[in-house]
Amino acid sequence: MKPDSLIKLVSELLDLPLYDVEGKYCGIVDDIELTGGPGKDLKLKALLVGPGAYKGRLPGWAIWLVKKIAGDRVTRVPMDKVHSIGAAVHLECSGWQLGLHKSERRAAEWIPHGGAL
Amino acid sequence: MNPIELTLGIMTAVGGFVDISQVVFAALAGSVFGYSLIWAFALSTVGIIVYGEMSGRVAAVAKQPVFNLIRHRLGLKLGFITLAASVLSTLITCAAEIGGLGLLLRYLTGAPYLLMATISAAALMGCIWILPFKWIERIFGLLGLLMLVFVFALTAIDPPWEKIAAGFLPQIPPGLSSKELLNFSYFAVAIFSAVMFPYETYFYSSGGIEEEWGPKDLPTNRVTAIAGMALGSLLSIAMLASAAQLFGPAGVGPQIPGSVALQTAIPFGPVGLVLALLGILFAVAGAAIETCMANAYSIAQFFGWIWGRHKKPWEAPRFTIAWVALLLLSLAIVLTGVDPMSLVQYAIVFSILVLPLTYLPLMLLADDKKYMGKYVNGRLAKVLGWLFFVLIVLMAIAALPLFVITSGGQG
Amino acid sequence: MRRALLPLLLLAGCSKGPEADLQYISQARSLGFEWAMVNQLAAQGKLTAAYVQTMRESLKKQLGTTASALTQPESQYGNEIRALVAEPGNASAAELRTHAGKLKQIEDSLESD
Repeated sequence: MKPDSLIKLVSELLDLPLYDVEGKYCGIVDDIELTGGPGKDLKLKALLVGPGAYKGRLPGWAIWLVKKIAGDRVTRVPMDKVHSIGAAVHLECSGWQLGLHKSERRAAEWIPHGGAL
Repeated sequence: MNPIELTLGIMTAVGGFVDISQVVFAALAGSVFGYSLIWAFALSTVGIIVYGEMSGRVAAVAKQPVFNLIRHRLGLKLGFITLAASVLSTLITCAAEIGGLGLLLRYLTGAPYLLMATISAAALMGCIWILPFKWIERIFGLLGLLMLVFVFALTAIDPPWEKIAAGFLPQIPPGLSSKELLNFSYFAVAIFSAVMFPYETYFYSSGGIEEEWGPKDLPTNRVTAIAGMALGSLLSIAMLASAAQLFGPAGVGPQIPGSVALQTAIPFGPVGLVLALLGILFAVAGAAIETCMANAYSIAQFFGWIWGRHKKPWEAPRFTIAWVALLLLSLAIVLTGVDPMSLVQYAIVFSILVLPLTYLPLMLLADDKKYMGKYVNGRLAKVLGWLFFVLIVLMAIAALPLFVITSGGQG
Repeated sequence: MRRALLPLLLLAGCSKGPEADLQYISQARSLGFEWAMVNQLAAQGKLTAAYVQTMRESLKKQLGTTASALTQPESQYGNEIRALVAEPGNASAAELRTHAGKLKQIEDSLESD
């Protein structure tokens, strides 16, 4: 499916995995940004990736818990960077360009390199 | 199907089937109720085979792990509730396994329990860090096959085979008082919980992704699930039957995990004893690793982190931090000094409460043509899956009242 | 406040005595027989030294916990359990079975009431 086709937001987009142009896993579609308004067409503007996008989808106590475990970062993926949407969302660029691997990179600073077969 | 890989897979599943909860409840059930709870092990094994096969099939066909799909299929809110419930119950289970390791090492060496539990946790951490996924599965699964000594021990004591066979039929022993009936019911629920722990499907499906299963691996998945788990359950049934023969008539209702090893000492002496303790040790160590990693898989998959032991620890850093933190948290629970047998009881009760939340999404996914295509549940899987789901819901409702009324099966 | 406490006090009164102690009598009986089994097998050379020592310590500790949980520690069964706890770790299997056997008789008579 192309990004400008008609789409069912809940069953065909939300919570889908994201892969960049190199085939690297980049996270999950946690929320979406729309343009439009009353009486106008709704269009997808961007995908939101990261636990900070859960607000509005989870109750307050769950947001607090999520923040402790996974933080509250949100990365915005503009729709013009999306190549196609199917069983997963495929991007037209590398995840690094969009800042999608920042949290992993920060976490990797804590992990010793070595010892694994 | 590569026959060597298939054989190794089945043997790994056999040796890795048993955990500390099954050891405890098999011995207790046999000593208190004779052979009349064999059917609970047999029936619950059918249940875990049904759901295990389903979870492997979902992983191989949808090529996404179960928790990714749970989020997509059920939504964030219900997915989060499922995550929280399963992480909590699996954490307690992991603590019970680590406590079990501490006890088993104490029986083998005489060294202090908490020190052995700490060393066990450190050793497990080292194994998960150093070894690739397949080696972790294979080493502990294959070494767990030392538990076959229980099957040989049962044969050596010449048990009443016709009574063991009769035990496979669902039954309630006649003449039970109302108190004994409640105890019997609790044991049946506990056995189901011990065999069908939620972490098993999460670990199995994530393992399928780790090993890059595809539709071509579905026959292997099916044979491994059926043969491996069915044969594995025979280890638990052997412990139950030996307890019925040796403990019950002697007035012994084993209160500590080490007691079960007496079953092999009676016919085979110290060699049998050590083999039994080592077999249980490796099976429980495997279970500790599975519970820890199942939780890390669930958390990483839910939040969209890079995950998997097929990557080096620094290539999946948040996943690595998750399993290290979970292992340390489990050890911390053990170090509070809580009795390991109590941990086993809590693990059992929490897990049965969580089971409906675990298996409902899996049923919905495996039943959904959008994800599964032509590999969607067939009629047998559908019927059995829903039958067991209804059974699990009934047991989940009954579990807590039974636990309280019977004081965890103590009467 | 007093009215709210009354049911709890009544419940507390009901949960004393031999009926309430029945589960501890069963536990002590089981632990006693298990201890006897360990010592018998140890005497036959069927167990390792580390296992025997650890099992004896665990069983005695469990018995001590059971004894302290009794609501009527000065009862006949309370005395029997205390006598069992007082036995040395390497007590003869026969001696341990005598104590456990007496607890079994008390357990059976309470269950048939």
